[in-house]
Amino acid sequence: MSHPAGLHCDQLTRRVGERCLLDRLNLAVEPGESLALLGPSGCGKTTTLRLLAGLDPASGGRIRLDGDDITTRPAGQRQVAMVFQSYALYPHLSVVANLELGLEVRGVPAAERRRRIAEVLALLQLEGLELRRPAQLSGGQRQRVAMARALLRQPRLMLLDEPMSNLDAQLRDQLRPELRALLQRAGHPVIHVTHDQQEAMGLADRIAVLDGGVLQQVGTPQELYHRPANLFVARFLGRPGINLLRPEAGVQRAVRPEHLQLVPDGGLPVRLQQREWQGAQQLLRLESDLGLLLLLCDAAQPLGDALQVQWRAEDELRFDGSSGQRLE
Amino acid sequence: MSRTPLPLLLAALGWSLLPLLWQLLTSLRTAEALVLQGAGAWLQGWTLDNYRLVLQGDPPFWRYLLNSSLVGAASTGLTLLLAIPAAYGLQRQRPALRGALSLALLAAAMFPYVLLFLALLELARALGWGNQLLALALPYAGLSLPLAVLLLRAAFADLPEELEDAARLEGLNLWQRLRRVLLPLLAPAIASTAILVFLFSWNEYPIALTWISRADLLTLPVAMARIAGSSVYAVPYGAFAAATVLGALPLLALVLVFQRQIVSGLTQGAVKG
Repeated sequence: MSHPAGLHCDQLTRRVGERCLLDRLNLAVEPGESLALLGPSGCGKTTTLRLLAGLDPASGGRIRLDGDDITTRPAGQRQVAMVFQSYALYPHLSVVANLELGLEVRGVPAAERRRRIAEVLALLQLEGLELRRPAQLSGGQRQRVAMARALLRQPRLMLLDEPMSNLDAQLRDQLRPELRALLQRAGHPVIHVTHDQQEAMGLADRIAVLDGGVLQQVGTPQELYHRPANLFVARFLGRPGINLLRPEAGVQRAVRPEHLQLVPDGGLPVRLQQREWQGAQQLLRLESDLGLLLLLCDAAQPLGDALQVQWRAEDELRFDGSSGQRLE
Repeated sequence: MSRTPLPLLLAALGWSLLPLLWQLLTSLRTAEALVLQGAGAWLQGWTLDNYRLVLQGDPPFWRYLLNSSLVGAASTGLTLLLAIPAAYGLQRQRPALRGALSLALLAAAMFPYVLLFLALLELARALGWGNQLLALALPYAGLSLPLAVLLLRAAFADLPEELEDAARLEGLNLWQRLRRVLLPLLAPAIASTAILVFLFSWNEYPIALTWISRADLLTLPVAMARIAGSSVYAVPYGAFAAATVLGALPLLALVLVFQRQIVSGLTQGAVKG
């Protein structure tokens, strides 16, 4: 055992009937570290969250939190807090009553309840909304109340299930840095589930990419982006998506759109199919002998008649054609 | 959205309320006045005698009201006590099992219970439940349970599962989750289920007729039938109408009490976002 603090998943597995929703997941998250679980829907990310929370039983493997084996401990005794996608605020209770219920059943004395609630209301700038019902709050306010409730749990592990997906894009951009600062200050491991790579990169120190219940790769956003372990990770991260060149001799080559450069000559001849202006940049759809290519470049770059593209050898990623694993 | 045209609304109201008004008027008039003809007929023959007669009968009418209220309250309470946990348990089953059980409950709810009353009578005789007022609550609750469980299960299904998950994570045990989170949200569904059960118990006739024979233990429908059939030669319209009006009052009060909750339940659903 390297370090007892933080979260350690060991061969964590969840099977329902014949289906394996999560297959032998190994994962470690340090205190104060924020990890994003990223993947398409049905990849096992929400399953993982529910196992960690104790809402579903594990079929195999172990979960250790700060050295304690909590694999079979009931949800209410794990000191794990979760912010749900729908926020799951109690609709019949005011903001204060929402925050107070958990403290009350856990036997926190009334005076301390009031003090801690006032503290967290101030921290999340929810003062003045104490007596509102959830239905009378905006989406961003509801999210903050859900966050406040989770913080009052004094969790040893914080789980966030698609915390931003119910907010509009503008509010998301505004809340992301706030949320990140808040979670860093709290000092416990944070795991948050998302299918949005932007959100994962903005909120997380490390990202774990899941597909079909199997962990594909875990690492910093930069590692995943520049040195993806396999084709799935390479394709899942980055927008517009990575270019896959026509496979040759069992090797799949791939280049990111921003790594392609237009050159006067000496490159791969391409034909312009479509040009999409994106503000600072433009996205070109190009036809070539190696297949369809997307190229992202400065919007001011002029386009000649005969286009040719090239890329640096070190920007090219090579994958095994059958297993999809990256070749060094 | 189109509004219901006013004439249609008035017609519907008249259709359902005029017979009640007729009963009310009948109850306030003497037997002779009921058959009077001519323009001046409405000016004479008003009386409270019918009510006096009914209320001062032996046993007095309030006794039947009390009997019916006791049976109604007991059967409603018993039904909810069993149906709420059953509905929760049913909703938490695997979908296949839940579907099969729901179908069985539906079949039980649809079964014409009149076909059971001979068997129930045998049972009552064997167990010595004849002339035991509160024993009526047992078949009433039993007969109401299938529908009550189905109604409440549907209400549980409408609550987002994440609500209970959140409460579990906060350390609420099953009883606390039900009492503090789920049941307050189900209040409108519980209220309407309660009214249905109470209404069934209030109106039930064949079982009450066969289980109870002592005059002071009769429930309202049976007692009223006795008033209507008290003489072979005359139908006591006035007394019968007075009994009907008195018998409807507690139900009216009940609906008024629950009205706020039912209406608030409706608007709560409307603004849920």
